[in-house]
Amino acid sequence: MESIGYNIMGGIITVIVAFVVGLTYMGLSRKITARIQNRKGPPFYQNFIDIFKLASKTSAINHGFMQHIGPAFMMITSIMSVLIVPVLTGEQWFSNLNFHGDLIFLLYIMVFGPLGMALGAGQTGNPNSAIGVTRGLSQMVGFEIPWVMALVALMMQYHTTSIVDLIKVQQEQGVWLMFSSPFAFIAAVMAMLGMFRYSPFDIVGAPTELASGPVSENGGKYLFTLMSSNSIFAFAKLTLYVDLFLGGAGNIGELLLKTFAIYLIPMLYGTVSPRYRTEQSIKYFWGWPLFFGFLAILQASFF
Amino acid sequence: MEMIYLIFIIFLGGAGATYLLGKINDILRDIIFLATLLVPSVLFLTQVSIGETVNFTMAGFSFQWGITYFSTIFAYIVLGVGVFAGIYAVKAMKGKKNLNFFFANYLLSIMAMMGILFSRDLVSFFIFWEIMTWTSYLMVVFNGKDVQKVGIKYFIFSAIGAYAMLMAIVTTYSLTGSMMIDSLVAAYPGFDFSMQLLIPILLLIGFGVKSAMMPLHVWAPGAYSHAPMAYTSVFSGALSKMGIYGMVIVMVSLVSHVPEGHWFREIIAWMGGITAVMGTLWAIKQDDAKKLLAYSSVAQLGYIIVGVGIGTPLAMMSGLFLAVMHGLFKGTLFMAVGAIERQTGTTNFTEVTGLIRKMPWTFLASLFAIIALAGIPPLGGFIGKWMLYESLIGSEHYMLVIVIFFSSTAAFLYCYKFLFGFFLGQEEKEWSHVKEAPAMMVVPMLVLAVSTFVLGVFPGLILKPIDAGMQMLGYTSTQGHFWELSVIFNDWGNQVAMQPIVYTIIGIFVFFLAFLTIKGYKETRYVTTKDISSSGEVPKEHENLTFAVNFMQPFFRAVEPLMRRQIDKYYNGFANGLEALFDFTRKIYTGNGQTYALYAIIFAVLLLLFKNNLFG
Repeated sequence: MESIGYNIMGGIITVIVAFVVGLTYMGLSRKITARIQNRKGPPFYQNFIDIFKLASKTSAINHGFMQHIGPAFMMITSIMSVLIVPVLTGEQWFSNLNFHGDLIFLLYIMVFGPLGMALGAGQTGNPNSAIGVTRGLSQMVGFEIPWVMALVALMMQYHTTSIVDLIKVQQEQGVWLMFSSPFAFIAAVMAMLGMFRYSPFDIVGAPTELASGPVSENGGKYLFTLMSSNSIFAFAKLTLYVDLFLGGAGNIGELLLKTFAIYLIPMLYGTVSPRYRTEQSIKYFWGWPLFFGFLAILQASFF
Repeated sequence: MEMIYLIFIIFLGGAGATYLLGKINDILRDIIFLATLLVPSVLFLTQVSIGETVNFTMAGFSFQWGITYFSTIFAYIVLGVGVFAGIYAVKAMKGKKNLNFFFANYLLSIMAMMGILFSRDLVSFFIFWEIMTWTSYLMVVFNGKDVQKVGIKYFIFSAIGAYAMLMAIVTTYSLTGSMMIDSLVAAYPGFDFSMQLLIPILLLIGFGVKSAMMPLHVWAPGAYSHAPMAYTSVFSGALSKMGIYGMVIVMVSLVSHVPEGHWFREIIAWMGGITAVMGTLWAIKQDDAKKLLAYSSVAQLGYIIVGVGIGTPLAMMSGLFLAVMHGLFKGTLFMAVGAIERQTGTTNFTEVTGLIRKMPWTFLASLFAIIALAGIPPLGGFIGKWMLYESLIGSEHYMLVIVIFFSSTAAFLYCYKFLFGFFLGQEEKEWSHVKEAPAMMVVPMLVLAVSTFVLGVFPGLILKPIDAGMQMLGYTSTQGHFWELSVIFNDWGNQVAMQPIVYTIIGIFVFFLAFLTIKGYKETRYVTTKDISSSGEVPKEHENLTFAVNFMQPFFRAVEPLMRRQIDKYYNGFANGLEALFDFTRKIYTGNGQTYALYAIIFAVLLLLFKNNLFG
């Protein structure tokens, strides 16, 4: 019974850390983007101000029950992902659900929330929301293919589908998978550009075009839940990349350094790219990323 | 009396009684109909012991009927879907014409499927297979619409399948001198190579037609969408699984016993993979819910064929698990479409929108079924998908796993289209009168939908009979090795434990639901779907904001090259060619005596002209 209590405590601490780190990264990205565009930009803690303002507000309207529970669905995905992904290697406290699910499970639980949220967005009746959702799903079909190819290459090469085992492989070999499976890393990073939805792949939210898309009818607590879920989710995805390709992290400092390094890639790529159309985005992922995915699989099957 | 006979007598007698009583009283007919479904089901579950066989001789052939562990899995699917779809049908079909015929036919169809599962010899197998084909054909043309186009197509493909199967059976008889399935299995490894190739191919044509395998699937979208929805639940949910049943026997009992069988199975698995991709893409394109689900059935059967084709223990288990799951969720979805058709009169996404507040229970059942279909945890579809991926990765099918992944990611598109098209989006005045379907239709849907959840958390419940069936086919037991009650393992021992996951999900959901609801939901007021911020302006009442036409257009701009070729066109081209040939023959055989006299004279003249060359 005690161990369950510890597990729950560990899980809650993980989620809080993910929440804080994710929000800070988002704030930093706003600052960095602004500096690149020669603006001053908001302070890096601006997102905290925004989110606590939202949490303190009460909502006046709802669009029905599905819209009401949509954000809760989104939260399930974020928290489940952060619990499944090993945050710190070799730490008993934060083992969470690491051993209860594997990569394929993670891939599928990652879709659960967006689908629930998409249903909520659908109930509002705002056409922009539904357009955003269809764009998002189409784009997902795009980037999921190179991403899965990278993962399949890793899984087949090391005969495991568990993230914990893949970290162990890197520790035993003494070399990060980023260097021993370079093609898989390239394909996965290119897929990540779509996953983080920074420009040029920001077709789902599409500021000024779709008026922030699926989230557009949410305010107050709904938006608070969605925003915090987004930051937790971002942290989970970054940690996953660190675990898979950068050998995991032994302590919190290393984790922050590595995740931020990964986070810079989609962010900086975004600042210099205009937005794609949906079909351009899909075709982008079926071009070079797919090629590197094939190379990764070839490498896994022959070496 | 042997219980197996009794089950058939009840089905046959019930079908007759249903038909005759219907002429007297409708309620009496409904009661007899339901009793005829329920009594044999109960008898089957409680009285029939697995392994029991009966023998009898008729017209010089010896027949053997029996129930095996393997056919029990499929009997569960048939009876489960059959009973709930039957309860649904009583209410859903009310007020239609020719109901006596419908219900009697429904019972005969269920009987034929049970007969296929009971048959241990090829003759009765074939007879029941034909009864199944005929009853389902009569259901396809039941509504009387497009009989020429849809009915004939289904019939031609069924006939091709049946003749192929008959050829295989006759060949088997001439080679072994016996009609028993067991003797075919025993003699098969001793055949020469051409026979080893011919018999499985012929049988697989027969089974492939019913399980809608590419390129034999073209009848399916039309037939599934034209039959009454109450029957389509059975058609897609259970009847298509008869093809899978036969396929498993061919693949495991025959093909895997010869060295060349490996390549044969690879080809079948790839055909399944291509079926899955093309079925999914075409499903996304459909604007009619029935067609969408029909193509989606084709795609889902593709996954099952992949699992059966690969044939490793994990893959076979995933194929059979998906077969059970597909019966449950596709049964539910076709019932939901039937309910919507009954309440609104249309099944077109571009016409009907915003039903969520009018038909909440139908929405809930559809939501469960769609989540199961998409393979999202914690529902049952996930277990099957997970095992399929793991088996493909474990058996090093590098490319096939990518193909399957593409198909099942693209499936989210039509999943969302289905839910959004019917239930979400703008609520229009035109549909403000719509009410929820009657309880007798909603409850069967909900029961099937909830069972996908139960089997998702405790997959061991259904993996146990599947394991027993696979042991009968010659696999070693997989319990504790690949699965436990709520844990599943892959080839390398990595696991997914459903129970802690589900409890965590429920915990998170309840917490945030409380967070959002307390001081939230009650104080807020509901606003209509017109009360939205569309680009900062409040839309007027008459403005049309419905988004349904060209729903997934950007996606199709990207995948256009894949969809340019359509196997249907080749078949049509072939049929047109044949028709031209027949037309040409008709010009020769005009049926006119004078023309024939002319032919005779021409022939005589030719003979005279060339007589020296010919006879000289």
